Amino acid sequence: MRIVIAEDAAVIRDGLALLLTGKGHEVAAAVGDAAALCAAVAEHRPDVAVVDIRMPPTHTDEGLRAAIRLRGEHPGLGVLVFSQHIETRYAAELLAGGSHGVGYLLKDRVAEVSEFLDALARIAAGETVLDPEVVTQIMGASRRAEDLRELTDRERGVLALMAEGRSNAAIASALFLSYGSVEKHVTQIFAKLGLPPSRGDHRRVLAVLRYLEP
Amino acid sequence: MNVSFRALPAAWDPRRVWRELGYALVSLPMAAAGLAYLLLLVATGLSAATVAGVPMLAVGVLGARRLGAADRRLARALLRMRVAEPPPFRPRPGLAGWLGSALGDAVAWRAVAYRLAKVPAAILACATAVGLWGGGPILLACPAWWAGSWAQGLAMSAAGAALLLLAPWAVHLALAPERLLVRTLLGQSGAAARISELETTRAQAVAESAATLRGIERDLHDGTQAHLVALAMGLSMAKEELAEAGGDERLDRTRHLVGVAHRNAKQALAELRDLLTGIHPAALDQGLETALGTLAAGSALPVALRVDLADRPPAAVETIAYFCTAELLANAARHSGARRAAIELASHGDGLRLRVRDDGAGGAAMGRGTGLRGLADRVRVVDGTLEIDSPPGGPTVVTVNLPARA
Repeated sequence: MRIVIAEDAAVIRDGLALLLTGKGHEVAAAVGDAAALCAAVAEHRPDVAVVDIRMPPTHTDEGLRAAIRLRGEHPGLGVLVFSQHIETRYAAELLAGGSHGVGYLLKDRVAEVSEFLDALARIAAGETVLDPEVVTQIMGASRRAEDLRELTDRERGVLALMAEGRSNAAIASALFLSYGSVEKHVTQIFAKLGLPPSRGDHRRVLAVLRYLEP
Repeated sequence: MNVSFRALPAAWDPRRVWRELGYALVSLPMAAAGLAYLLLLVATGLSAATVAGVPMLAVGVLGARRLGAADRRLARALLRMRVAEPPPFRPRPGLAGWLGSALGDAVAWRAVAYRLAKVPAAILACATAVGLWGGGPILLACPAWWAGSWAQGLAMSAAGAALLLLAPWAVHLALAPERLLVRTLLGQSGAAARISELETTRAQAVAESAATLRGIERDLHDGTQAHLVALAMGLSMAKEELAEAGGDERLDRTRHLVGVAHRNAKQALAELRDLLTGIHPAALDQGLETALGTLAAGSALPVALRVDLADRPPAAVETIAYFCTAELLANAARHSGARRAAIELASHGDGLRLRVRDDGAGGAAMGRGTGLRGLADRVRVVDGTLEIDSPPGGPTVVTVNLPARA
């Protein structure tokens, strides 16, 4: 996989490059600000861009803005954005432009390289990836808290994993269920919450998130 | 032609001479008027035995304040005195409160004392001015009208000249009592000056401590946190390598060591993040609305948020408002068994008002481990107030008022 990294802390940038090249990926460029990111993506045409949200000059959300713009300019590009703190608004903004091949993780997630690499692979494959912490907060803050209480604990767990962008197979292995029972739970959930049946795994993330945060 | 007067000793600076002469001459009629006002006040005071007398006395006392202000302005302009303004009149609400404040106003009574003490001081100044500036020229012109001998005439002329030379300096000296009176009776009392200084230094201390904390947060975030992330990442990669390395006993120990180190790094990262959020949450840089939104989203309860601020308050006030909200929301979630909460933040007077409501069991009070005492203390540092309305059975409403200047 060809990857471009945008991260202003050199220690983390170098660490990521080391990690990715160690796993056989090609790191076409490792840059420290949004402008360089856009230039690098235009030049190298990577499969995925790994982008820190807070970058110079204002250290607010340059990375996010750049990521959204890049997805518009390069339709096949997968984008994984990082932030140090949970900001549920970022998830909504990022997914507003479509949920294919996009992900939002907390920086802590790189502390488990296997999870990070897994997320990267899923994004390259066109799935959606949301950090579990972000999903927890979205579900907790949701105005639908009442309706969510109608679900069983098991169904809530499946809903959370759906919101994270997991496929049915992934949910089944995460919760030690059979594929069939996961499908049944999903149908139940959609029925209870009044959601239309989903067309694809990553589109249902959008449906779930729109439901949770109208 | 630009003549510099700086070469002359200060006492003979023509501008100052004219100013002081003017003041000395004006001060006598002003003192007379002031005395008349005082007599009127005394008469009113005597009639204070009747009900109508009390408000008239209060008005009279406040009038003395106004006259004092005029005197102060005159002294500033003509005598070039630097006198600080005393605190303005802030009456308590209600008619009785207004009367009480007026009659008890120390500044006003000091102005009354000034009116009285000014009389002898003005007489001295005026007499000196008239005596020297008037007598001097008259004696100087003595030869023109002196009927006696030439020698006497010349002597008196010389005396006149001497008087004229002395006049500026003498008038300046004669105004010393006036200056003393203005400074002690029309300026700030020692206590008021001290309070004003304390308020300024306290505001500086609060702003400085807020800035220091933000600096610490920034440094920890940019430096330490980044290094910890890289460390955790590196250890995770080492774990992966070791997982593939076979079953040697030393390798097993190494796996164990790396596993422990990795857990420690992740733990440190999580703790540092919580610590930093406790010092200065990143969202606060983008304003209270965003920061409170993040708090609301992260709370265990559903929280309705309404923010309506005219402009952005100073950073120290924003920080206090944020931490109050965080603590109050945590209380609502932890103690009261509430099912929903609401935050309202609006401009109020020249400050802001924060209200946190929950529909829980009520009974919240200072002490009892709710942290409300600490919040109240923190709010008091910037002259804010905290009110709790929490009857048993609920609902609970906590209102925090914060001034706009820290």
